[in-house]
Amino acid sequence: MIQHFPVMAVMLLFLGAFLVAIFGRISPVIRDGIAILIATISLVLIYALIKPVMIDGQIISYWMGNWEPVEGYAIGIGYEVDALGLFFALLVVTTFWLSGIYSLGYLKKDANKMHYYTLYLMLSASVLGLVLTGDLFNMFIMIEIMTFASVALTAFRNKQAIALEAAFKYLVLGSIGSSMTLAGVALMYRVCHTLNMAQISSIIGGEFNLTTIMAFGLIVAGLGVKSYIVPFHTPAADAYTAAPTSISMIFSGMVNKAGVYGIIRMVYVVFRAMDRSSIQILLVVFGAVTMFIGVTMALAQHDFKRLLAFHSISQIGYVITAIGLGTALGLNAGLFHAMNHTLFKGLLFLTAGAVLTATGTTNLDKLGGLSKRMPVTTVCFLVGAFSISGLPPFNGFASKWMVYQAIYTKAVESGNILFAIATITALIVSVMTLASFIKVTQAVFFGQENPENANAKEVPVIMQIPMVIMAVLCVLTGLFYNVVEKFLLAPAAGAALGVSNYIDKMMGAGYAKAAGITDIEAAPAAFSFWNPLVWLLLFVVVFLGVYIVMATSKSTRGRMLEGGEGYDPKYATFFSGEQEEFSQVGGSDLFWGFKTDWKGYYKVLQGLHSGIVTDYASYIVMGAAIIILVMFICLR
Amino acid sequence: MIIVNYIASVFLIVLGLYTVCTKKNLIKIVLGLGITDYGINLLIVSIGFNPGGTAPVYYLADLLNGVAPNFFVDPVPQALTLTSIVIGACVDAMALALVIMINRKYKSVDADEIRRLNG
Repeated sequence: MIQHFPVMAVMLLFLGAFLVAIFGRISPVIRDGIAILIATISLVLIYALIKPVMIDGQIISYWMGNWEPVEGYAIGIGYEVDALGLFFALLVVTTFWLSGIYSLGYLKKDANKMHYYTLYLMLSASVLGLVLTGDLFNMFIMIEIMTFASVALTAFRNKQAIALEAAFKYLVLGSIGSSMTLAGVALMYRVCHTLNMAQISSIIGGEFNLTTIMAFGLIVAGLGVKSYIVPFHTPAADAYTAAPTSISMIFSGMVNKAGVYGIIRMVYVVFRAMDRSSIQILLVVFGAVTMFIGVTMALAQHDFKRLLAFHSISQIGYVITAIGLGTALGLNAGLFHAMNHTLFKGLLFLTAGAVLTATGTTNLDKLGGLSKRMPVTTVCFLVGAFSISGLPPFNGFASKWMVYQAIYTKAVESGNILFAIATITALIVSVMTLASFIKVTQAVFFGQENPENANAKEVPVIMQIPMVIMAVLCVLTGLFYNVVEKFLLAPAAGAALGVSNYIDKMMGAGYAKAAGITDIEAAPAAFSFWNPLVWLLLFVVVFLGVYIVMATSKSTRGRMLEGGEGYDPKYATFFSGEQEEFSQVGGSDLFWGFKTDWKGYYKVLQGLHSGIVTDYASYIVMGAAIIILVMFICLR
Repeated sequence: MIIVNYIASVFLIVLGLYTVCTKKNLIKIVLGLGITDYGINLLIVSIGFNPGGTAPVYYLADLLNGVAPNFFVDPVPQALTLTSIVIGACVDAMALALVIMINRKYKSVDADEIRRLNG
């Protein structure tokens, strides 16, 4: 009975998409009813798997049409749900269910809601299928459906020019990523003559030849495009801004998690490359660059949703860094942060949507003083902001703490300076995240009220419910981190490291042993949470980080003379201030000093984010080339 | 010669990516995506091809009696290619539809002018 649950959850969602398309015309109640009912059934089916998979440690396998392996060769398409897949499936179902509830209220004024729900169910089904499948080509198909549905939903408000622009960029850049994945899958078929991930893992056995290196590089780069790590992040910033907010939440909560899941599955299970320090360094460097560029770009943004989009990119950097360490603690930390990112970033996007509904804008310069008019939204936003900034006792603190500890331990063990730099980067980025959210809090919810928003009202209850649920989850996962660790993270991390169980369940008992597969020994992920000595260390490192930032910044005092080049009264030494009569301090310029200090950096970086699709495409090709080149140099 | 196929497929993939990265006309960018897809399709078909192999269509009796030749072209990559062609067609159709709508809003199909989301 239970082995049918995963495939039923996926297929029901696909079926629901067609049902909405056929019967949705009859009445809005039937349309919304079908969508929410199907999403709820899918949610229940996946949650029902928690006990057997997470607690009892089963692995569920399902062969489509009962095409079981013949003589040790997988011929059919298999679904395989281990704790790692289920962990991400739980994030996916939670996200799309809450997003579905929220969109009931959020889409009040939009036309074509039938199309929205059809695509919404398609997108949910594809991401759920991606994390549950055990077949490489099926994974590619799900990635493609995911891209199409995402593109169409990005362009959903097609009256706005930016929605079309973002959708086109997303389609072009996403297709390059999918094409790279497909080429990699084809090369893997050439080597292994099978598409089943378990069998591929046992055939290549962690060894590489020229073809598999190329395939590995292409697949990791292709999935990197889906998880929006720098330099593949450019479509994310645009799409999150232009899409309806309930969809931005889905993008940040599950679509980029699907990419992260794919990377974990590939590097840990299929290619088993994480015991090589070169791959660890590759991922950690990409992760560290991602978190730094993401957060610095976020500091320069003037749009609420675009700012959140860059924070989303930055937080994925934490996840990639942590899983790139190749240790059990790192994997735990990465998964925990991925989960928390789903919760708090989803929450923040929902509050942004609430602000958009109430005021009609997400421009930070035009908002302000909404805390009196929207108390629930403000409290939810503060919970999300505290979580993402890593303040105790919210969940972001626990997972970021684990990430720091994982990188620090790794740096001490390996003695590699790169890991030490990554530790400091992670801490500085956390400080900058806090700074950025102080700015948003000031610009949107506190500060001076903009007279244009004087009649803003709190959003309807149906939109408050998902926000409150997510806020409560943010607090609960922060307070009971040890429960989460025991029942969700430890099994998931164990599944990623214990490859032989995954292979045996799919291909028959003893298959992995016959192929000479040994698990990476999973050291218990002991992490001390409230150790005062480590606290002191954290303080010292943060202090050093801040000090370095301060010390490297050049003083601008006295340089900007009136009438001189680049003179702006805003930055004048004694008579600084805005020229306009009505302008908030804060707005988006709370940290203008920082921004002027880093003028050169921002000039380069904002020039790189030019908005031209060909530039973005060349970043993607260059990033893929770098990944493949590094792999060829290191794995030969 | 199968090696020609591989060279041609890599050439097509690189040509397609070059088009996407350098041409500023949105229609040409979509064409570039198409060329990349065709290159990959050629790659997949070539992977499954056995020179001199037959089509993989037999009666069960033939296989059991050993009458049928056991050297045939791998059917799986062909199935993959079909799927990939369909997906490629969808990408092109959707991208062109978006280009038409972008042209209505921006009065241009030049990538340099379609950059309101930047920075």
